[in-house]
Amino acid sequence: MLLVTLLCYVGFAALSLSMPRHYADLAGGTLSTARGRSLKVLGGCALLVSLIVALGLQSTGFALVHWFAALMGSAVSLVFLMSYWPRQALWLAGIVAFVSPIVAFIQLLA
Amino acid sequence: MKEGFRQAMAWLHTWAGLTFGWLLFAIFLTGTLSYFKEEITQWTQPEIVPHQVSAAASVDRAQQWLQQNAGDARRWFINLPDERTPELAVSWTNAKGRFERKSLDSLSGVPVQARESSGGEFFYRFHFQLQMPYPWGRWLASLAAMVMFVALVSGIITHKKIFKEFFTFRPRKGQRTWLDGHNAVAVLVLPFHLMITYSSLVIFMTMIMPLSILTTYGKDTQTFFDDLFPAFKSAPAAGTHATLAPLSPMLEVAREKWPNERVGLVTVNNPGDAGASVTLTASGADHIAHQPGTALTFDGVTGELKNETRMSAASLLLAGGLYGLHMGHFAGPFLRWLYFLCGVGGTAMIGTGLVIWLGKRRLKHARSDVIPFELRLVEMLNIASMSGLMLAIVSFFWANRLLPVGLAGRSDWEVKTFFCVWGLALLHALARVFLRDGRTAWREQLTLAALLFCSLPVLDAVTAGSYLRLSLEQGRWVLPGVDLTALATGLFMAWGALRFRGDGKAALAVRPTTPSTGEPLSPDAPGDRVIATRTPIVQEPR
Repeated sequence: MLLVTLLCYVGFAALSLSMPRHYADLAGGTLSTARGRSLKVLGGCALLVSLIVALGLQSTGFALVHWFAALMGSAVSLVFLMSYWPRQALWLAGIVAFVSPIVAFIQLLA
Repeated sequence: MKEGFRQAMAWLHTWAGLTFGWLLFAIFLTGTLSYFKEEITQWTQPEIVPHQVSAAASVDRAQQWLQQNAGDARRWFINLPDERTPELAVSWTNAKGRFERKSLDSLSGVPVQARESSGGEFFYRFHFQLQMPYPWGRWLASLAAMVMFVALVSGIITHKKIFKEFFTFRPRKGQRTWLDGHNAVAVLVLPFHLMITYSSLVIFMTMIMPLSILTTYGKDTQTFFDDLFPAFKSAPAAGTHATLAPLSPMLEVAREKWPNERVGLVTVNNPGDAGASVTLTASGADHIAHQPGTALTFDGVTGELKNETRMSAASLLLAGGLYGLHMGHFAGPFLRWLYFLCGVGGTAMIGTGLVIWLGKRRLKHARSDVIPFELRLVEMLNIASMSGLMLAIVSFFWANRLLPVGLAGRSDWEVKTFFCVWGLALLHALARVFLRDGRTAWREQLTLAALLFCSLPVLDAVTAGSYLRLSLEQGRWVLPGVDLTALATGLFMAWGALRFRGDGKAALAVRPTTPSTGEPLSPDAPGDRVIATRTPIVQEPR
């Protein structure tokens, strides 16, 4: 569940960065078309992987409920952070992107 | 053509939202509270203390007590305790056909002398019956659900930049912020909103869409309900006396049959009769989908398993799935809090929508001091339905602690307090809005609500401190959890009250540009455009 939520957060953060306005607010500078596209693909992939992880952990019904919960929870937290602490929102996304492979590794071992 | 369609949808969204907004706000808020129905009931009846007792031991105690005190009853119901309900509830229909109910202590098996209170059940019932006589409340609630669905769909169509503004929330920009907040909470939590609204229609399906049942079962609708609730299928009594078999071995059979499920309800038909039967119904908390038809039926005298039913019809499973998702019985603590927060989000969406409706129209009168009657009326109803309802809710909890325990009709008095306070809040809003201004009414009601919510933990500690201490010692967090939630709500109310300081010019202000990008404000909804061109811009004081 933790991994699913982390992946959702990374996914939404990448998707928001793929929009020029949010990119300027969060990262500063202008967004090149190529980078925008790759961020969009990255975000979409993270969300897709989170769904696959959720489905792998539980029965389909609970997996879908938990995935939607993670989706909504992470999107709301991201938008809240972006509005009041944009820098920290980006930092958090970076940390989460770094941490989630470790969490995935631990979950595989457990 | 396309713009025309969107305009029409915006019109629909605006007026459907306004006319049913006040009612929907109350339905959503009480429904949100109902996710903690059992916890609220525990708080309102702290005398019922949870124990670590096995289901078999509980059911033995219940059988013993019922045999001694309700031996001549036609039917017994035994609701087994679980981690959210400490109560071992027994109820029965006596020989005269009257329904009676007692809650037993699950450890000793004697009735608990708990204060009379409807607790969380009141908010849950109000959520879909609106305290009206059957079936009118349910009809009105279903109608409201349909309007909610219409408002959601028309809102999605009206919201032009649903993806472009997916992550957009611009704080401290007056009307813009309200609209952003309304959109953000609607879009980000949209799966919840759609699920909860659509499933509410499915729950009342037998009432509002009887056609699907009529085509399958014809006029024989009783068969439909018998299939759905096998425990209530009544068999006639044989008329000869026979001792009821012990119930706890049947629970053992159920454990083998349902390894991943617990028994929630034990129904005994014709106890003490040769034709007795016992039905065990699974607790709803182990599955997402609600499966009312899952039951085991035993012979009441020999204790043999006679029948095993499981719901199989695909359409019923789908309906059961939506029902289960709506109720959230399966949710553990974490998911339950998320449900609660999503409900708060839905309530906030309705509230912000009502505020935006008024804010837009008030802007036209920003220069003159005269506010037309209809806008004052809407403002009064906004205040009474939002802060007034919060006052009513908190006074329900106060009444629970302050009314004397021995008072006759005590739980009715709690409910009366709720509605009296709500009525008083309406009168207060009426007087303030029409004789002074709405901001004063908001400020006063929110301040009072903040005081009452924040001091609820103190009241609890003073009037029921021993239960609070006991549950803290045992590491149970339900009672302190309710207190802390009240405190958090009170702080939120106080924050709201602080926003209504001053004369109100700031709240109406709309800035001409967004500082971050410098692009002119682009109004989304057609209604926005009207305001943007017609109204004078009031600068927010720095």
